Amino acid sequence: MTTQENPMGSIYILTQAIRTVARNAALQSYGVISLTPGTMGESVSKFLRKDSDYGVIVKTEDEGVSLELNLIIEYGLRIKTVTDLVAESVKYAVEKTMAVPVKRVDVHVRGLRVSNPD
Amino acid sequence: MTQKKYVLPEEKERRKLLKSPINGDGLMLLFEAGLIWLTTNQAYVNSLNVFPVPDGDTGTNMVLTMQAAFKEADENRTKNVGATAKAFAQGALMGARGNSGVILSQIWRGFSRALDHYETMDPNLLMRAMQEARNTAYKGVVKPVEGTILTVLKDMTTGAEEAVNQNAGLSEMLLRIVEAGDESVQNTPELLPVLKQAGVVDSGGTGLYYIFEGMLKMLNGESLDASGAVLKPLAELDLANAMETVEEGQDYEVVIDFAPHPGFSLEAYYAELEKIGTSIQVGEGEGIYRMHIHTELGKRYDPIAYTETQGIVKKIMMENLQDQMSGLNEAEEELALVPVNPGDIAVVAVSPGKGLSAIFASLGVAAIVEGGQTMNPSVQELLASFENLPTDRIIILPNNKNIILAAQNAAKVSVKKIAIIPTRNSPQGFAALLRLNPEGTLEENEESMKEAILEVHTGEITISTRSVEIDGVDVEKGQVIALYDGKLVSSTPTIEAAIESLIIKADMDEVERITFFYGEGLNQTQANQLADGVRKDYPNIEFEIHDGGQPHYQLIIAFE
Repeated sequence: MTTQENPMGSIYILTQAIRTVARNAALQSYGVISLTPGTMGESVSKFLRKDSDYGVIVKTEDEGVSLELNLIIEYGLRIKTVTDLVAESVKYAVEKTMAVPVKRVDVHVRGLRVSNPD
Repeated sequence: MTQKKYVLPEEKERRKLLKSPINGDGLMLLFEAGLIWLTTNQAYVNSLNVFPVPDGDTGTNMVLTMQAAFKEADENRTKNVGATAKAFAQGALMGARGNSGVILSQIWRGFSRALDHYETMDPNLLMRAMQEARNTAYKGVVKPVEGTILTVLKDMTTGAEEAVNQNAGLSEMLLRIVEAGDESVQNTPELLPVLKQAGVVDSGGTGLYYIFEGMLKMLNGESLDASGAVLKPLAELDLANAMETVEEGQDYEVVIDFAPHPGFSLEAYYAELEKIGTSIQVGEGEGIYRMHIHTELGKRYDPIAYTETQGIVKKIMMENLQDQMSGLNEAEEELALVPVNPGDIAVVAVSPGKGLSAIFASLGVAAIVEGGQTMNPSVQELLASFENLPTDRIIILPNNKNIILAAQNAAKVSVKKIAIIPTRNSPQGFAALLRLNPEGTLEENEESMKEAILEVHTGEITISTRSVEIDGVDVEKGQVIALYDGKLVSSTPTIEAAIESLIIKADMDEVERITFFYGEGLNQTQANQLADGVRKDYPNIEFEIHDGGQPHYQLIIAFE
């Protein structure tokens, strides 16, 4: 995925594009309310660089990428099912649209949004 | 889960539902009817998958979610409608399966919140419950896609609101909800291009529609029976299985294709056929109906005579089952599985067909779980297959991409040490199994098996269940489609042409051996002929032909 001739450029563009695709797929997945920065670095870049694709961390691996999603989920849903589904649909979207194999998807539930307490 | 036969409530009870406000018991009758009718139509909802290979399971997921919900409410029966709905919603939450199941659980959660603290429910409260269900369901997603179950729910709620504005009673209100739902379901392809491209309506929305239609049918005293008048898509007619369940004395199988006259009534047709024979199934495809029935010797011409009064008969097939049954019974041999000693590495394989199971057994697996494309085994079934083996080192070969997740979940629940080899089809499973080294550690075996699955390429040949365009290939319903390592490569009128497209795709310079596993719709002679067609062009390649017995796929081909 990373090319020797133009290492910095191609790494940056590809990772960024993957984050956009992954983020949109996550947000279309049922039960996902929003994404949230997963690391301090991400929080900083969200503010300083106005990075709008926060919440998705992409690590390049030998033959593909691994993704980490940091999510806020709607309260009152079965979290396990929601996280399984979001991991599946993000993997599908990235592999389908970018032809980059996704080696793993780690889902971190950073919080729940309570719109209706029971 | 075995269910006791569903019996419609007595007329007296139904009248009570229609006249007085609904209490907890009444709500349970409605929920139960919805669940039963959804179950009856489960196969149809499953068939609305967007990819042309039969792997849909929306119907199954919704049924399982509804079953869990019903069970919870059934165990906490109360006359209070609010408490009943709450238990139902709780059960749905805990039992939610798949995307449609999660949304369904959210719908019932909203529904129950509106009923909270109410003793009984009148049409006005039902409308508010639907509104709350809609609002709650939409809150679960930031970017709602229209043309899905959410849209259908929204339109049904609008139907409920209109009914209340006109002071409708419960049954009239449900009728309005069901009509609005039907219209909404039919409209989903206009809103969601992927549905239009695949030529289907939305599966989740259709499932929700059946739940409410079931409630309405129960109120009207109409049958919800699974064996009753159900029209399936032709691809869903399970004739092979129907043949195995032949009853004593029902010796003849009659299959008739016909074009029904205008005004044809499916229910009357079923009712008449039930007087003639058993195992009745009726399917529809492109305006042609196909009827399947088992009859005794003396009545074998009756279905033909009757069907001729109901439509124009196009084609008749008749078979003496007694002959076939003797063949079936011979094939029913016990598989000789490898005995497991304490401390051994035991391999568990998921197999879609009898022939493939026999090959797995001969290669040394310790347990076999039946399952495949449209019948994924549950986590419990997987667990049960190895929990009692006297060893704590287990290797699972899922042999289907849809089963890998269930295997991983089984591994999480079990206390044993488990390695999952992500095999996506049976040939990969065989390749992995050949690497089994009983002396090695679990990790060594896992590594070597994972390598092995990269060395085999797999072609699969099946019949498309609908017209669709995928990966740039135009597929027409009923055509033969070929997949190479899971990717669609061609759609052709014949199996021969499909094989040829796979041969082109496989790098034949690298291939040393080709193995055919023939399944549904092919016999050994036909498989031999197909193999001969390839063999004459590639005299140096070794050929093997085995009876795979798998459903849906005419051929699975391994290239090594």
